Amino acid sequence: MKNIIVKANAGALTNFEVLDLLNSRGASKDTTRVIASETVSRSEYKVYDYLMETAASTQTRESVTKFSDKCKDFKLAKAEILNIINLRPSSDVELTPILEKPDEREIDIEGILALVQELLPPLPTVEAQKENEQEETENDEQS
Amino acid sequence: MFCLSEMEDTVRVPPDLLKLPLEVAIKKVLQKLLLNKVLSIGLCVTIYDIKSAEGGFVLPGDGPATYKVRFRIVVFRPFVGEVIAARFKESDSNGLRLTLGFFEDIYVPAPLIPRPNRCEPDPYNRSQMRWVWIFEEQEYIIDHSCQINFRVENISYPPVPTEQAEDAKPFAPMVITGTIDDDGLGPVSWWEGCSERNNEDDDT
Repeated sequence: MKNIIVKANAGALTNFEVLDLLNSRGASKDTTRVIASETVSRSEYKVYDYLMETAASTQTRESVTKFSDKCKDFKLAKAEILNIINLRPSSDVELTPILEKPDEREIDIEGILALVQELLPPLPTVEAQKENEQEETENDEQS
Repeated sequence: MFCLSEMEDTVRVPPDLLKLPLEVAIKKVLQKLLLNKVLSIGLCVTIYDIKSAEGGFVLPGDGPATYKVRFRIVVFRPFVGEVIAARFKESDSNGLRLTLGFFEDIYVPAPLIPRPNRCEPDPYNRSQMRWVWIFEEQEYIIDHSCQINFRVENISYPPVPTEQAEDAKPFAPMVITGTIDDDGLGPVSWWEGCSERNNEDDDT
């Protein structure tokens, strides 16, 4: 194949958007992953599994869009906004590694954290993850 | 860590797929060729959409129909400076190896692990070494007990080796070098409850 790359970067995607895409292909619906394997491959499922353990799994299109819009007031770079959406930091120490040279920029850290708390749903809880793991092991025993 | 890339290529659709709707058939061929492969622009995760397909000519002596296709794919290509949540995979005297499940070639070399630290044989796993961070006389072990946040320092695409020793590690076409040497990076358990301590400091 003589791949011609027309546009290497045709737009950044949040983890949420990629998870939403995989869900629209049926990744979430089939727990045995046999029927949906027509539309979702094993490697795509690995991405799905990773994303389900991150903030993306509890986010909605509305919350992510609203958050991006409001972030414009905080003078953040696009990449930083994307990173905040993906990681959903809930404390100062979680937010600072995402920002570039925060000391030189007078960034309203408290304001950003308050916005995250207000607009982005909390991370998936550990109990929910454990339930998922139990479901998977049951399925493995059946097959 | 994901972005869209637009590409154009000549796609040959084999005769047995021609009974399907054209878009589905082309997607199947592209998936087989690109899914989970590392391109110069990153790891191809999924086909996003087909923008256009022209042609459909059958070349003499050739069964498949040939189309010129313009399409978009989702690639995994983090940016330098991005903070990513990962899991511990293994560690040795050179440093740590982290994984995302779908991508496992993330390395945190020894110089990017916070100091002071020490590297010792892992008591639970004789073939491995484990890293321990020493801070204010407390010891913090780096292992698989929780999520590890790292920041991307560099992404490299090593050239395919022409020869490899038999016991060499499998070739990794895309390697991410990360750091955990900064506030908020490393195992998340290191920083839980930290903001409360900071508030106390401010009061004094």
